[in-house]
Amino acid sequence: MAQHNDVVNNLYKSKEQFENSIWDQGWDEVIPGAAVYSFDGEIQAPVVTTLPEDRNVAETNSMNKYVGDWRVVKPVWNVDLCIDCQNCWVYCPDSSIISRDKEMVGIDYNHCKGCGICSDVCPTNPKSLVMFNEQITNEDALNQWPEKKKKGEK
Amino acid sequence: MSCSLLGGCGPQGNREIKNLKTYSTAAERFEGAHVLCPGCAHSIIVREILNATNDNLVVGASTGCLEVCTAIYPHTSWDCSWIHIGFENGSTAIAGAEAANKALRRKGRISADTPEPKFVAFGGDGSTYDIGFQWISGCCDRGHNMMYVCLDNEVYANTGGQASGSTPIGASATTAPAGSDSYGMKQNKKDMLSIMASNGASYVAQVAPNKWKDMVKKIQKGFNTDGFVYINAMSACTTEWKFPMHQTIEVSDLATDSLVFPLYEIINGRELNITYRPKNIVPVRDYLGAQPRFKHLFKPEYEYLLEEWQKRVDAQWVYLQKREEARV
Amino acid sequence: MAQNKKIMELNEVEVWDGNYANASALRQAGVDVISAYPITPSTGTVEGYASFHANGYIDGEVVIVESEHAAMSGCVGAAAAGARVATATASQGLALMIEVLYQASGMRMPIVLCLVNRALAAPLNVNGDHSDLYLTSQSGWISLDACNPQEAYDLTLCAFKIAEHKDVRLPVISNQDGFMTSHTAQNVRPLSDEVAGKFVGDYLEVNSLLNFDHPVTHGVQTESDWHMEHKAKQNDAMMKSASVIEEVFAEFEQISGRKYNMIETYKTQDADVIIVALGTTYESAHIAADNMREQGIKAGVMMPRVFRPTQIEKIANALKDAKAVVCMDRSAPGGQLGQLFQDISSALINTPARPIMSNVIYGLGGRDMTVIELEDIYKKAAKDVENGKLSGSIQEWVGVRGPELKYYNVEGN
Repeated sequence: MAQHNDVVNNLYKSKEQFENSIWDQGWDEVIPGAAVYSFDGEIQAPVVTTLPEDRNVAETNSMNKYVGDWRVVKPVWNVDLCIDCQNCWVYCPDSSIISRDKEMVGIDYNHCKGCGICSDVCPTNPKSLVMFNEQITNEDALNQWPEKKKKGEK
Repeated sequence: MSCSLLGGCGPQGNREIKNLKTYSTAAERFEGAHVLCPGCAHSIIVREILNATNDNLVVGASTGCLEVCTAIYPHTSWDCSWIHIGFENGSTAIAGAEAANKALRRKGRISADTPEPKFVAFGGDGSTYDIGFQWISGCCDRGHNMMYVCLDNEVYANTGGQASGSTPIGASATTAPAGSDSYGMKQNKKDMLSIMASNGASYVAQVAPNKWKDMVKKIQKGFNTDGFVYINAMSACTTEWKFPMHQTIEVSDLATDSLVFPLYEIINGRELNITYRPKNIVPVRDYLGAQPRFKHLFKPEYEYLLEEWQKRVDAQWVYLQKREEARV
Repeated sequence: MAQNKKIMELNEVEVWDGNYANASALRQAGVDVISAYPITPSTGTVEGYASFHANGYIDGEVVIVESEHAAMSGCVGAAAAGARVATATASQGLALMIEVLYQASGMRMPIVLCLVNRALAAPLNVNGDHSDLYLTSQSGWISLDACNPQEAYDLTLCAFKIAEHKDVRLPVISNQDGFMTSHTAQNVRPLSDEVAGKFVGDYLEVNSLLNFDHPVTHGVQTESDWHMEHKAKQNDAMMKSASVIEEVFAEFEQISGRKYNMIETYKTQDADVIIVALGTTYESAHIAADNMREQGIKAGVMMPRVFRPTQIEKIANALKDAKAVVCMDRSAPGGQLGQLFQDISSALINTPARPIMSNVIYGLGGRDMTVIELEDIYKKAAKDVENGKLSGSIQEWVGVRGPELKYYNVEGN
């Protein structure tokens, strides 16, 4: 199974990792027509056969944007309960549920906005994704996991 | 123009999607950290569509939530070719690119070895039903090989929720708000699917993000269809329909199961197929009740409107079934 | 090589009206996509082109769309996909597509627009005047003006070369007077298909939507933290395009023997009184100027061949010794002094030159401007020079029935 950190860490690059950052550019350096590039130079292989973490993304690819600070609550993933159904993957609006080789790898907290849809659509009982307060650590969250719900219980 | 310098053109055509697990092996072309609202259905729909195909894509968008939130300088969330010009002309922008593709191939400036890309234009209901209506009709008339997807959240969401031609009766929108003297929108929602089918679209279909399998089937069918394809995608908007952001799929389920958003397709303007028949049809008032934009309709004096709503949805369902049977 | 496969053999001298001249230039330029909508008096350009297409002379696509706004939108989409594109329109059509003009120049799409100048409603009028030309003044398009079908043909060809140049990448308007040029057949000496095709050359593709090796996002939104940088870059390209325009004109002279200048002048070197006008009036004024010279008045004529970007230095240079300059504007001014008057006076204000300057509003809705009337304008200006000051008002409407129309008095007159 792909390691969570290997995948997620390559899904976000900060300004310092780019030469001639656009944030330093004056009017004379911007691309005509305000055209924005997805990748740094020509792509090395077709996009559809290259996983996002392996693409040579440009600084201007939104992958490098951090929106984790939008969250008030965050999803925590319980790998032991997860059945890899991929519901959370398909319904995440923010491409933040990382799935590789038909298995859940984890959550991209740089891009997750904490909407809670993933938890809503999780079919296991108890759920494998539960929303917790942003301040709690994932470790503590896993130790406070809700109990299995009885039939009829909401 | 080659597909790529080193890797050739890669796999082309629709992805083989047997189940959700095979679906999930897609290498996403719609990146996160766009600035759409948490819980926005637009991005769920876009992901579902882009992940259904391996083809090279030329994507366009009209001014609206999707465009503004995914292409705000200096960032882009699109790992594919993308163009926005203005509010009315998202469809025509893509049609122009499609014409260019034809011309450049004919002239040999694009080699015949390069696989044909797919041309997809996205627009909100404001752009589609109202201000861009003529442009879409024109593209359809001319039969460009392209797909137009309306992301239908039934208001001008990007600017705060003003009424559009898609806003249904009784919805409270900021320019048709509910108040002591008004129950909100007075006009009925335009039937874009009928209109586009009559306009001559080769294939029209209504989809919803909660029914991903139905969506994938239709999108892939659309990609395999020559000519102009119109897709109406129901897009539950947490911000403007005012339900909690984690309920997007729940509300979408109510929409499809109450038949307010029936899922069907029309092939060549004549063959109508209903593609989803709910096991248990949910009362329309349950769908309306889940969204605060309709909450004023639950006042006793507006009970008649709820009854009219149910009648209207029932009548439409009967119509769809009859038309499906009659094959007209 | 821009050429279409099927060549058309042309005579050394053809008799073409302005619209046919446009259509021929578009054909020879090997346009990839024409996205167009008909409107009088530009329809002939589109019809001529469609006829070429129907007879196998065009390898590109002809997309007849459902409105002018769609026409320009289709052009932008096709240009973004790496195609050479063009369209034609006038007046109401230009007004309808005006937002897309701004979008096209902001997105740096090299599109050629054959604008057949016609009056803007209301009242509705299909005849020639410059109100649509003026509407494009601040749209960020390079704008060239032709006086006759030969010039329309030449400038439309040049327009592609200017627009697509790597240092320019801006859309270009090729203007001509509605009816007076577009529907008047005159002698045109066309280039051969081969020479014209070679001149326009291959299309230079930049950031194409169809280049899947390098996906690009076109037409982003900018906030207040970035908008000004992008507009600065665009404007700078527009200002610097002047040197490219001169290069293209020079190259064109080599192959045709016809020389175009940033501003055109006729007998201005020793002129005391100079008329500045666009379009066919420039040519008519030649005759009036010669007649004046026979009567001892040193008259001259000037025209901005390149209307945008405004050539302030060249204008000032041409007019520096003039004693009176009459700027003639063929457009209803809408409560101000005419556009040419504004362009010319702004060119002179930071120089020592202080000719007596006046503004004539004329020819609206296709009303004729005759040689006799032009002579009267010269005579009046010469009188002012004699008196040492402007008599009457700055702006006068000429050729309209009814009481005199004069606006903006000069203090002390």
